[in-house]
Amino acid sequence: MHLVDVQHLSRSFGNVRALRDVTLSLEPGTIGLIGNNGAGKSTLLKVLLGLLKPDSGGGTIMGCDISHGTSELRGRVGYMPEAAAIVPMLKGVEFVTFGGDLYGMPHRDARRRAHEVLNYVGLGELRYRRLEEYSAGNLQRLKLAAALVHDPQLLLLDEPTNGLDPAGRVAMLQLLEDLIAETGKSIFLCTHLLGDVERLCRQIVVLDRGTVVRAGTMSEMRDQVSNRYELSWMGPAPAFRAALVVAGVEFADPTDEGQTKVMTVVPANFSTTTFFEIARAAGAVLTELKADEENLERLFFRVTEQASQTSAAV
Amino acid sequence: MQIDQAHYHGWQGQLQSPWVACLAIVRVALLQVFRNKAYWFVLALGMLRFLAFWTIIYAVTQLSLPPDMRQQFLKLFGFSANVDADQNNGYIMFMAGQGVIVMILLAFSGSLLVGSDFRLNSLPFYLSRRIDKRHYIVGKLLAVSSVIAILTVLPALLLFFEYGMFTASTAYWVDNWRIAVSVLAFGSVICVVNSILLVTISAYLQRIVPITITWASIFLLLGRLGDLLQWSTKDDFWFLLDPWRDMRLVGRLCFGTFNRDIDRELAWWALLILTSLCTISLAALVRRVRAVEIVE
Repeated sequence: MHLVDVQHLSRSFGNVRALRDVTLSLEPGTIGLIGNNGAGKSTLLKVLLGLLKPDSGGGTIMGCDISHGTSELRGRVGYMPEAAAIVPMLKGVEFVTFGGDLYGMPHRDARRRAHEVLNYVGLGELRYRRLEEYSAGNLQRLKLAAALVHDPQLLLLDEPTNGLDPAGRVAMLQLLEDLIAETGKSIFLCTHLLGDVERLCRQIVVLDRGTVVRAGTMSEMRDQVSNRYELSWMGPAPAFRAALVVAGVEFADPTDEGQTKVMTVVPANFSTTTFFEIARAAGAVLTELKADEENLERLFFRVTEQASQTSAAV
Repeated sequence: MQIDQAHYHGWQGQLQSPWVACLAIVRVALLQVFRNKAYWFVLALGMLRFLAFWTIIYAVTQLSLPPDMRQQFLKLFGFSANVDADQNNGYIMFMAGQGVIVMILLAFSGSLLVGSDFRLNSLPFYLSRRIDKRHYIVGKLLAVSSVIAILTVLPALLLFFEYGMFTASTAYWVDNWRIAVSVLAFGSVICVVNSILLVTISAYLQRIVPITITWASIFLLLGRLGDLLQWSTKDDFWFLLDPWRDMRLVGRLCFGTFNRDIDRELAWWALLILTSLCTISLAALVRRVRAVEIVE
């Protein structure tokens, strides 16, 4: 069963189309939802949780209908909102207990669970502090605890590291990493901080202006650029470069004739041993041959740029 | 055996109906109110009248007097344990007299109990759980009603209980059961109307100053305006401008006793006014409560 399976979701706010025909099928695991500000990430998250009704389309999360089965769905999903979302005058443990009460847990269970999850997220010592006294980092941990209190199968996290200092961000990511490793829970992480997604997520959904421009695993997306290699060599540069061109290899970036380090794009079915054969024939010695590991940032800019070009052409 | 706190532990239990969460909303709301020292001050002010009446009833019932004399004594202090010639009783008068302090307490409570949910974007915290806007609204209405009941219905019933207890006879409770019903009826009207109006106003205005100004305008300004217009035109219908008086009239309607014929007619108009006001307010509230702030 898919974790998320939605078809043709659209949602508008007045004249602004926040989501356009979004169709997704995602497997259980860690999923990163990335996009620029205003791309529709939070809107998609809220539609998936049933907080917003889609104008058209529908789908399921863990088999629960997002339009009609919201009560059952929310019993299995924990949501950590981006906003402060605190209840004034409460202490940390009361806030998390209240979160459990609102999920429908028996009050005694909710209180016991609140102590457990607060210990787990590292707020055991601070549980009796008023919410107004929590730092931004601890408040994020507290909201995570409130989302975990009923032991959901899926966590929807909306910008969990937003507003945190570098140390707080690292600590939060470490906590999430440990949680994923220990419990195997699925996580749907919505953020514009690509580093967070790169560190935590195996599957990625790239949203741009309300449209899904790419969805898949990190390795699948990187496969599409596995035809790029970085080469360094010693020996005659012009001769080796000319031999590469004859073999159908292209240069990714404009380079000088004398340059001995280049990024290449190879044709289909090109074997890397061919590089050595061409070098030997040209009298050069390869000193470095490295497949280009495109990081998420470059991948993101590439796919969003492609999407922009496609929409401009249409 | 030491408890393992370092690792994650699951939870396997049955989730209850979302309606049970309404009680959690009430519990947390009362916790919020009683955590605030300023509220204790207002509550203490509100309890002064109750303590005064409690002491008077206690003192008078300890005197060896015939029942009629006891009533006369109580009347000296402005309290009537039985329904008097004007169809009033001390308990209802006590609740009506609590009006000003209830209004002050509610003006401050609105921002804390409801306004902060909107101001601090806490609605997604509520509505992303298993409750929806119906549960949220009912929970908040019950929470505000509880605050009102603490200052009105509860003390009035305690006074009724006290009088019966200290006269050492259950006959008082049996003979005057209609008084307890009238207290509950009037209390219900106060709770329902005030909670709906306060929650709606707080949902839109959110901050304490605008809420207090609006609240005071409704309950003080309109009341004085109604008195003024009635005085100048001699038309009792102007009294209906005062929501607190409307609530009293509707409370009497529940009990069925009126000391003037015109009041019976006015009570039906008051019921119409309050019903319309509450319906419009509820519609506005339902429209306002949503998990996502939509800026169009």
